Amino acid sequence: MRAASIADVPGAQPRLAPWLFLSPFLLVFLVFTAYPLVQAMVLSLQQTFGPQHTRFVGLRNFQFLFSDPLFWTALRNTVVYSLGSLLIQLPLSLGLAMLLETPGLRGGRLYRVILFSPSLVGVSFAAMIFAVIFEKRTGLLNVALHRTIGWNLDFAWLERHVMPALIVASLWMWVGFNMTYFSAALKNVRRDLLEAAEIDGAGPWRRFLHVTIPEISPVAGFVVLLSMIGSFQLFELPYLLLNSTAGPGNRGMTIVLYLYQTGFENSDLGYASAIGWVLGLLLIVMTVFQRVLVRRSEAA
Amino acid sequence: MRPATLRNSGGVTPRVRVSRTRVATAHVLLLAASGLMLVPFIWLLCASLRPADAFFQDLFLPTRDGHVAFDLLTLASFERLFDMAGFGRSLLNSIFLSSTTAILGTLVAAMGGYALARFRFRGSKACTVLVLAAVTIPGPLLMAPGYQFLYRLGLLDSFWGVILPAIAPAFGVFLFRQAILSAVPQELLEAARLDGSGEVNTFFVVALPLVRPMVATFLMIMFLGTWNNFVGPQVVLQTPEKFPLSVAIAQLKSTYYQDYGLQMAGTLVSIVPVLILFMFLQREFVDGLAAGAVKE
Amino acid sequence: MEAASLHPSFGVKVQRVTPAWVRHRLERLGLVATVTSPVVLAFALLSLASFTAMMVWPIPSREGKTMWLGAPPHFRMYEPMVAEWNKTHESRFRLVLLSQPALERRMLSAFTSGTPAADILEVERRPAARAFMGPLEGVGFVDLTDRLRVEGLLDELNGPSFTPWTSRGRTFGLPHDVHSVMLGYRADIVEAAGIDVSQIETWEDYFRIMKPLLQGPGSTQERYLLNLWETHGDHIELLLLQAGGGFFDPQDRPIIASEVNAHVLAKIISWCVGPDRVCGDAPNFMASGNRLKVEGYVLASFMPDWMCGIYRGEMPQLGGKLKLMPLPAWERGGRRTSVWGGSMIGISKSGVRTPEDFEKSWAFAKELYLSPSLARTLYEVGDIVTPVKSHWGDPIFDRPDAYFSGQPKGRMYLDLAPQVPARSSSPYNTMAWLRVADAATALASWARDNQKFDYVDILPEAKRVLAQAHGQVQAQIDRNVFLSDAAKSGGVP
Repeated sequence: MRAASIADVPGAQPRLAPWLFLSPFLLVFLVFTAYPLVQAMVLSLQQTFGPQHTRFVGLRNFQFLFSDPLFWTALRNTVVYSLGSLLIQLPLSLGLAMLLETPGLRGGRLYRVILFSPSLVGVSFAAMIFAVIFEKRTGLLNVALHRTIGWNLDFAWLERHVMPALIVASLWMWVGFNMTYFSAALKNVRRDLLEAAEIDGAGPWRRFLHVTIPEISPVAGFVVLLSMIGSFQLFELPYLLLNSTAGPGNRGMTIVLYLYQTGFENSDLGYASAIGWVLGLLLIVMTVFQRVLVRRSEAA
Repeated sequence: MRPATLRNSGGVTPRVRVSRTRVATAHVLLLAASGLMLVPFIWLLCASLRPADAFFQDLFLPTRDGHVAFDLLTLASFERLFDMAGFGRSLLNSIFLSSTTAILGTLVAAMGGYALARFRFRGSKACTVLVLAAVTIPGPLLMAPGYQFLYRLGLLDSFWGVILPAIAPAFGVFLFRQAILSAVPQELLEAARLDGSGEVNTFFVVALPLVRPMVATFLMIMFLGTWNNFVGPQVVLQTPEKFPLSVAIAQLKSTYYQDYGLQMAGTLVSIVPVLILFMFLQREFVDGLAAGAVKE
Repeated sequence: MEAASLHPSFGVKVQRVTPAWVRHRLERLGLVATVTSPVVLAFALLSLASFTAMMVWPIPSREGKTMWLGAPPHFRMYEPMVAEWNKTHESRFRLVLLSQPALERRMLSAFTSGTPAADILEVERRPAARAFMGPLEGVGFVDLTDRLRVEGLLDELNGPSFTPWTSRGRTFGLPHDVHSVMLGYRADIVEAAGIDVSQIETWEDYFRIMKPLLQGPGSTQERYLLNLWETHGDHIELLLLQAGGGFFDPQDRPIIASEVNAHVLAKIISWCVGPDRVCGDAPNFMASGNRLKVEGYVLASFMPDWMCGIYRGEMPQLGGKLKLMPLPAWERGGRRTSVWGGSMIGISKSGVRTPEDFEKSWAFAKELYLSPSLARTLYEVGDIVTPVKSHWGDPIFDRPDAYFSGQPKGRMYLDLAPQVPARSSSPYNTMAWLRVADAATALASWARDNQKFDYVDILPEAKRVLAQAHGQVQAQIDRNVFLSDAAKSGGVP
């Protein structure tokens, strides 16, 4: 017989144990994330150029934010990017996952590895390669399109169509990742339901709509949430792609890019923190909204 | 009806019709997608083998008078890269930082996820909400206060200054919580406790093995994240000899003077270890990723 | 309760268990299985192996002072000089190369929150200006004004070179360069067509005389007269400065919406839009742009002295085909050059704990920047001409440069040195530059959308977009609670 466990009553759940397991996370989190976060909140109410030169300005940073055209440009660009990304990337990931489920398909594993590999390489590589792809006149995309369908060689992706270019770049980076999630979900779609639907005379599209989609909706919800949160925090990709700027006419400006510019290029940490807080609130609202929707649809 | 026979993973071969045309179409589409995914890698490989002086004249392979000239392919860029002072050291630094952060981060996340998944205690709801909210924090917001704070703690110019802030991954806690919820039944844990197993023993011996795929996945995710990260380390670490590979590569790029061949070779070298690691561990990794997403 | 839906890959079947079963099976397989899963093993091995390797391969601890810099070519140039200094002096210095963003972040953090800074920093124009954001006594660099005056350095160095490092009358850095700008043109093409560039005095002259060589949109082989585009923020700034415009006046007040700026911007955009456009986009510092330049897509490009080195290194094919000429002026008798870029060396206040510290750093900085050997190395390796007037007599600058068809380009750049326009040190300079760049792209879009390609039509809109940029910058300045009212309306706080 083993030594007595921590609990006084055998089989009962110990009281301290959960906190013991949580403590490393909580400790590191509180020290390295929560504390700087609180400081950032305080910063958002100040203007600062150093500890000797800090002044409390109340909500002035936030007031300025709401009338700042650059902030609204950044917000608009970020929303466009997120929606576009969501509406294009997720169906594609789902489509690829379904293709991989085709009965009788061999070599699925190899396809999976290849399609997943872009997620491994990091943002710097993606930015570098897509800068080359999207260049005017000599970029891979324009040259390829020009030679096949006579596309305009001077089409300026990175000057006038930055958000679509970013959507394509992030598509390359993440479609394999999302596809893996969907693959797992598809594997768990109950065959009996599909077969029953088929027996009832439903065609492939209706089977998809009424059996597959509801079955994978928990995973889909998870992927959508992750994507949205990730999209709203887009920063390194446009920043690197546009050579450490926000692009001509600020067409590549996202919220976090504006935050970075304000904080580190204009050294206005107070205002940058204010932007960060607005973003955080936005994301929380979105998350809550999404979970409410999921709960509603599950109840239905 | 026993569910095991109805789900694919129950080991029962489903009755399906294999349609040749459907398979063929699937192959065509998947091949096209795979090809597009691979174009950047192929470009990088060609770019690192092109001679530096005629670097931008060709799209992929070096050409001479319109024909591909294989004899112009050269390893000179790689030679220059390995000759670079401190290259080997930065590689070592990267391996250390990434593997250590991966192991510690996974341990912390697994423990946290375990606590939130299989214990009922006051504050568990609050903590779960905290973890979810933490995922939404944008990184640059914390950069400046975080850096000052590290300084006050005396962690600047130390590897721990890079490792410690990274080992509380909220996303990881969330993933492990999902995985444990779906793979580790409560009764099993209770049975183990009844049998006299201590809490630590229960965690390591009973629960953790059941989420092995997620462990593999998250190790890989953390490794990748740390390997590719060059922003934090470059600011926190003050001694150049401590810089990881990602920083060394980032420094190859300066605004006004480019050695393109060197940059390409450097980038290739920085992604090859990751690709190799992935190829060996991909099965567990993909399985684990799947395990993390299924249950809501 | 039913089984979990996904089985762990080593195949333990999870079912309703009995304690004894738990004890037996999982005891044996559990921990062992987890630890020896290939993934965990791989990572543990890597971690331990690398840790051991690091223990066995210690980092030599370095004493002495540090200098941070962000430009790899400078690093290579300074290394031998620093080694020489360390041999012959008791104070030892160490160079640390960082990427520009890292350098900026560390500098700012050091100046605003006291995190460690190097003793000496070499920074470029834009990051340096951020040090001047707050009040004068808060600037993180040591005020060198008096020392410079006493040692006669203010006269010994090219006057305009001090301007970006001088805020509110105080100078905080030693300038690295002059960075006068000339126009580098394809002599092979131009002379083959029989064109004589000595006739060119103004931009009007330039475009008129070069016109026969223009092959505009729609030609099989497009060729434009100048590498300039609405997205070339740096080029636009240098042209504004050349014409006497710019973003801030000497009192750091914004002058973005000035008549001169509107005139220049409208001219620039009129050259870049429409079927008769004379300018093309061959982006600098990019492989694609290089290719276009080699192909002759653009006939001429702005060449500050440092750009010559880049061309030489990245486009050897153009050797012997290029020549340099002073910039065409904006009006007869006007300025024939401008300025682009600049670096300074500054001593951080945090590194100066005793007066000896300052003397050591100051001696090192002067040696690095003012020595004749550096002046020569700078020119030989980087094509950069020194701001130190006493070195201007060195015959190295008269050497014919084969890449530029035998022209004594060093002398040509130096002759233009006194004309180099002053650069603002306002911390809002980057912001102004960004807003003006926005204005330029907005103006170009407007021109194309409304089919307005002539200067006269574009001018009113140019005034409007510049006024908008001006307003945005002014709003940011007004937000700054540290600038006293005196500073906002002009004058020193």
